Amino acid sequence: MAFSEFLNSRRDDCKALIAELSAEFPYVSILGNHVRSSRIGADRRSSVMGEGNLSECGFVIKMHNGRAFFEYSLDDVTGDKKALASKIIASLRVSGAVADRMVSVPLPEDLPMVRSFARESDEGTYADADILAFCEEMRDEILSRDERILNCQVAAMPFTVSKLFLTANRELDQYYSWVNISTFLVLRDGEKMVQTYDGVYSHLMSEAKKAFPGIIPGLIHKAQRLVHAKPIVPGVYDVITDPSISGLIAHEAFGHGVEMDQFVKDRALAKQYVGKYVASPICNMRDGAASVLSTASYFFDDDGVLAHDTQIIKDGILVSGISDLASASELGTEPTGNGRRESYKRKSYARMTNTFFEAGKDKLEDMIASVKHGYMLFQTNNGMEDPKNWQIQCTAEYGIEIVDGKLTDNYVSPVVMSGYVPDLLKSISMVSDEFKIIGSGGCGKGYKEWVRVSDGGPALKVKVKLA
Amino acid sequence: MNTNLKTLLDEASLSGYKIQTQKTESYELFFVHRALETVRSTDTVTTYVTVYEDHDGKKGDASFSVYASTTDDEIRALIASAREKAKKIENQYYDLPAAETLDGAIPSNFTEYDPCDLASAMADAVFDADTYGNGSVNALEIFINRYTVSVVNSRGLDKREVKYGAVVEVIPTWNEGESVELYQCERFNRFDPAALKASVEEKMREVRDRGRATPPASPLKCPVVLGPHELASLFFDLAGELGYGGVYAHSNAYSLGDEVQKNCTGDKLTLTMRGSMEGSSASALFDGDGTTLTDTTVIENGVVSHYYGSHRFAQYLNLPATGQLRCLEANAGTCSRDDLARQPYFRCVSMSGLQVDIFNDYIGGEVRLAYYCDGDKTIPVTGISISGKLSEALSSLRLSRDVTCSGNYRGPDFALLNGIEIV
Repeated sequence: MAFSEFLNSRRDDCKALIAELSAEFPYVSILGNHVRSSRIGADRRSSVMGEGNLSECGFVIKMHNGRAFFEYSLDDVTGDKKALASKIIASLRVSGAVADRMVSVPLPEDLPMVRSFARESDEGTYADADILAFCEEMRDEILSRDERILNCQVAAMPFTVSKLFLTANRELDQYYSWVNISTFLVLRDGEKMVQTYDGVYSHLMSEAKKAFPGIIPGLIHKAQRLVHAKPIVPGVYDVITDPSISGLIAHEAFGHGVEMDQFVKDRALAKQYVGKYVASPICNMRDGAASVLSTASYFFDDDGVLAHDTQIIKDGILVSGISDLASASELGTEPTGNGRRESYKRKSYARMTNTFFEAGKDKLEDMIASVKHGYMLFQTNNGMEDPKNWQIQCTAEYGIEIVDGKLTDNYVSPVVMSGYVPDLLKSISMVSDEFKIIGSGGCGKGYKEWVRVSDGGPALKVKVKLA
Repeated sequence: MNTNLKTLLDEASLSGYKIQTQKTESYELFFVHRALETVRSTDTVTTYVTVYEDHDGKKGDASFSVYASTTDDEIRALIASAREKAKKIENQYYDLPAAETLDGAIPSNFTEYDPCDLASAMADAVFDADTYGNGSVNALEIFINRYTVSVVNSRGLDKREVKYGAVVEVIPTWNEGESVELYQCERFNRFDPAALKASVEEKMREVRDRGRATPPASPLKCPVVLGPHELASLFFDLAGELGYGGVYAHSNAYSLGDEVQKNCTGDKLTLTMRGSMEGSSASALFDGDGTTLTDTTVIENGVVSHYYGSHRFAQYLNLPATGQLRCLEANAGTCSRDDLARQPYFRCVSMSGLQVDIFNDYIGGEVRLAYYCDGDKTIPVTGISISGKLSEALSSLRLSRDVTCSGNYRGPDFALLNGIEIV
């Protein structure tokens, strides 16, 4: 398999439609998306082999009339271009009173470029039936480990992306794939029931399959310990975060606040802090589709801007935000390749990609040893941003109590971190030399516009309120 | 629906098939402050086909997407591939829903407007509430959607419905001292300009209060009051444990006859899952299998009374197919606003998101704005969290007499919970 034949067959149609619409709009781009995805899995009582929820095929046209942006999403671009252009223009009519309120944003640059990008993929080298057999084998392996497991699901979710981007001067295409294999189990011990999960991910199915058996012992141990978990006594503690929780902090606590469409709306406090200390001097943070290879890695964004590796925090100082084409145009900055859409049916916004803290110099064992009484927190559950006021809510699946510098066997679950973002980031006193990116995340903007993201980093030592 | 698709599926002599189609037409406006930044429109169709193969007393299925551009030859190849995959799936046997036809619509006054004019009227309603010197609407997004949904299966089921829905996302901001904001999202299929304006006005007052709010000077110990948004979140979490799919998979936290409110000292809770609710854009006549939606009371007087769910899992459990229900109604209680005013309380107005973990008996979350009433005066409070045992909170639940509608929730306007720590 390779780049979508369907999109290739529509290049000339797109160019003709751009030419037609250019009579009305000085800037016109067309993004064609063709995503193939599937979900293959099995639990104790049923199995599935079907279409994944990322599958889609269609186009979105972005236009600028010299003042504001206009977009139209459709399934195909064949047929009479003049008629199609007329239909598009008619459907984007603006009612009189609202039309008077239109912004005046500079036209985006349309720099010439013609390039094709592709990442190594093993799509097409495996049969869905073989993946199902693998999931069933892993399910049986997990079920055999503890008779208290009521159910266990193992599911593979591969997806392959083809994108075509065209303007009057630009013609880009890209092809890449990603796969997640996740597991979810339910274990009952007397009256107590727990649910827990884990997963592996790679750009290659072969690598994900190879990695999966390695997570089974940890998954079983976690479930067995979580049946004895207790609620945490609320308070402010010294905390060590595992890479998943470090990533959650990077993403929810700070990342959303540097999405520069929020700068345009005066919705981000970070706008006032560019060039100022927002974190401990040993704190460094980055975001970028080109920063690492993970689930949010691509070659160009949905605005046709090449992927970047953006330094956000340098030695504790906020140095840059991340932007899409529209916010960069409005702010007069260079776009950073962060324009992303949930699908061709949705609007493009400034979005995070792979967001993480950089590794430090401390050893994890020294970090744990430095805690008199506190917790080490593991595994992201969820989080919610507050870019305007930098309040945070980040929920970890569980924590393990640290007493006199040693991890105990006392589990607490769930654990909600809250507080003020700069207080948390400035409290970072140690940063481990280990580093891991968690490539299985999803992110909404507010409560919608879901895109795939990764986050992670090293272990951090922080002081934060837990409840 | 592509009529040729049905012909191609009929020709394939499958054990069964299902075609689900959704046509979405939208008109969208995006404002930065009061200025219009982006205008969007969409006209797209999504078609999913599920192929069924009966074998060895089992049923297998596999699905694929069909696009506007998919050719007949490609469809034939997709059908053949799906059939081979379905033969590898050995799920417990079940019948597809039987022949039934419907061509319906969910009532909505959106039909009275041109989408462009409707979006403009919604923008006017929001900005009419933006009248404060120190406050403003910093961002506004308006989505007007028209969905045409159909389900067709090989047994002769053929249903179609037209639905409308609006999403209005508003970011009210206050700039007195430190600039603060709140988040508001309204979802509805019946436009009432006065109601939308009133709702934004209330949020403007709340964001003003967030600007004036401070963390409490000393620890607070009093009952916690949750509003309709958080109550909807809590009640949907409880009802979510009662779906047929979870019961069949043994992953449900509650079972029939379980007391959700043990040793109840408050109002007994009754939750009913509904297929449609006046004004709710989640309303539907049938689910993704074409099953007619049947309202079902899942918790009655604090006790689990029924499960609910899809045609397939209903057959496995030998229970009636209610369909996948997406609206929820909760009963009113005994607590009046006067009752509430007679005691100290901590009323959460805006939270990052209510965290409910039924398995770990947890309820909590970060509070962005609350009002603390000491029995005499009321002050706005921020920078605080709540946490406690879910079981204790449910047992002490006092539901308001007043009922409100919000999105796909109809139920108490507020509820009072004991045993929650404010930290």
